[in-house]
Amino acid sequence: MNRRVGYAAAVAAVVLLLGAVLSPGFASWPGLRAVLVVASFTGFVAAGQMLVVLVGGIDLSIPWVLNAAAIVLTTTGLGMADRLPLALALAIGAGLLAGLVNGLGVAWLGVPAVVMTLGMNGVMQGLTLGVSQGLTCGECGHYAPQPLRDLFAGTVPAALLVWLGAALFVTVLLTLTTFGRRVYATGANPRAAYLSGVGVKGVTVALYTLSGGFAALAGIMLVGYGGQASLGLGDPYLFESIAAVVVGGVSILGGRGHYLGVVAGSLTLVAVTTVLRAQQVPEHGRLMIYGLVILAILFAYGRERAHD
Amino acid sequence: MPAVRDLQDRLGYVVLAATALAYFAVYTTSLGRPPGSFDYLAILNTTMPLVLVALGQSLVVLTGGIDLSVGGVVSLCVAITAATGGTPGWILAVLLLGTLCGLVNGLVVAYGRIAPILTTLATLSVYTGAALWVLPVPGGSIAPEVRAVLSNPNAPTGLGWLALAVAGWWVLRRTRFGMRVYAVGSDETAARAVGVPVERVKAKVYALSGLCSAAAAVFYVATTTAGDANAGAPFILTSIASVVVGGVAFTGGKGSAMGAVAGAVALTLVIDVLFFAGIDPLYQSLFQGLFLVVAVLLGTGAALLARRRSA
Repeated sequence: MNRRVGYAAAVAAVVLLLGAVLSPGFASWPGLRAVLVVASFTGFVAAGQMLVVLVGGIDLSIPWVLNAAAIVLTTTGLGMADRLPLALALAIGAGLLAGLVNGLGVAWLGVPAVVMTLGMNGVMQGLTLGVSQGLTCGECGHYAPQPLRDLFAGTVPAALLVWLGAALFVTVLLTLTTFGRRVYATGANPRAAYLSGVGVKGVTVALYTLSGGFAALAGIMLVGYGGQASLGLGDPYLFESIAAVVVGGVSILGGRGHYLGVVAGSLTLVAVTTVLRAQQVPEHGRLMIYGLVILAILFAYGRERAHD
Repeated sequence: MPAVRDLQDRLGYVVLAATALAYFAVYTTSLGRPPGSFDYLAILNTTMPLVLVALGQSLVVLTGGIDLSVGGVVSLCVAITAATGGTPGWILAVLLLGTLCGLVNGLVVAYGRIAPILTTLATLSVYTGAALWVLPVPGGSIAPEVRAVLSNPNAPTGLGWLALAVAGWWVLRRTRFGMRVYAVGSDETAARAVGVPVERVKAKVYALSGLCSAAAAVFYVATTTAGDANAGAPFILTSIASVVVGGVAFTGGKGSAMGAVAGAVALTLVIDVLFFAGIDPLYQSLFQGLFLVVAVLLGTGAALLARRRSA
């Protein structure tokens, strides 16, 4: 594990401690649980974002891939428990497909990642709005099937176990498999990786596909949490996913970073907002402090090397 | 094959010409008459803010950076302009403030050595918060005399300002500073080695982007006659799209701000084309997304072709 994961964990610990000191309910399990659940949504999108950032890419299509998956889930699940497996498969499938197209565009057609994923965001937005007629379609009002909503009930919500599973998956994939080695090799130096036999294009396609899948997973979990799908559900997660990745100590230039750091980064961001909300800081104050906190963290361990 | 290579460099103009042609065609067929002066004036006034933001964005992209905070600077400047009633004195203050916001980005990027995308992501949040602080609910106004000289609904006053922006770029790129912008973007290490003050160039470029965003904000309020603290958010992605369609390379050092201006006008026209072609507005962003990717593929395809022919 690298040093930056330690920094990210330390920052998360400091923010959580600060919260515990400032507001009474924060240190209790219900308080912490609420933070963890909300942080899990950021954690899912940031998992995908981290995978593409590791090879020096970026995924700007997260908001509407997430939103599309959420709406696919509710319109195919129709609120019925027995339709849930089908709905889940379709929602995740939609996310994976969007990610696959992103990957193919970036790796095979050579479209810059910013352009490809920005375009995909527009395409998914148009498709989502158009097909659902602005979320006015007959099936659009359905609630998420009950088993999905039950993920958020109980002392230890099953949603947190899903996050744990996702964290294990990403960590094992990146640290214990050949594929993971190839990801870091590609991120550190794509040319060197290519010359030593890494299928750089294949790796890139796989990572964008996974990012689409993680965005869809976040959409599914958000629908389970909120009960219904809505338009603009994914909008806050574009910049938040990037912020969580860098606060988590992942280098934006690629090649360095671990998901454990990103988990800490997601916790930090959500805890900051939660603490400020508990302190009844108005929205404008929250936004400004949030930005300044990110800036301070960047100054602490997000700087690039000196030039000379 | 110079003609093919030109397509890559002039992508913005080619795309703009094609879009303008499509606009003319669908407008004429759907309304039975060619667009009149009123239509051109409406396009000019609605496109001016994006043109200005895209101009600033392209300067930053030319140095190999990116400015996500344009959304926050536009929001903040819209909020102040609208809240103060947009008198000339306040507009001057707003332009100064926008430049200052940009300068802060530039200093953090250049001297703090923090990646541009991360720096401006953080300041985006700060500036948006400040905008909400100034103008918690949409509203405000703009002085009528200011409106008359900026986006007069009866005269193409915007053309003059557009010409001024174009002239500004035309002069800028011929100055030492303009050369340095390209030098930093094409190869920062080489630029440093030949004595280009890379840090100062970067700081200035972000400050200019801030100034452009502030000017865009003033135009925005003049056109809509009111302000909204979230007005700037859409400009983040659309300004990047304009730069891309305009043929400015994200790796820096290649392209021109004029391409980005053409790209901004083309992006605005596409919305009208879709409208007159009778496409359900709900599908609008689908076509905008495709437009973006296809325009870029056109550019890379042309470059590839040119390389094959010359090889």
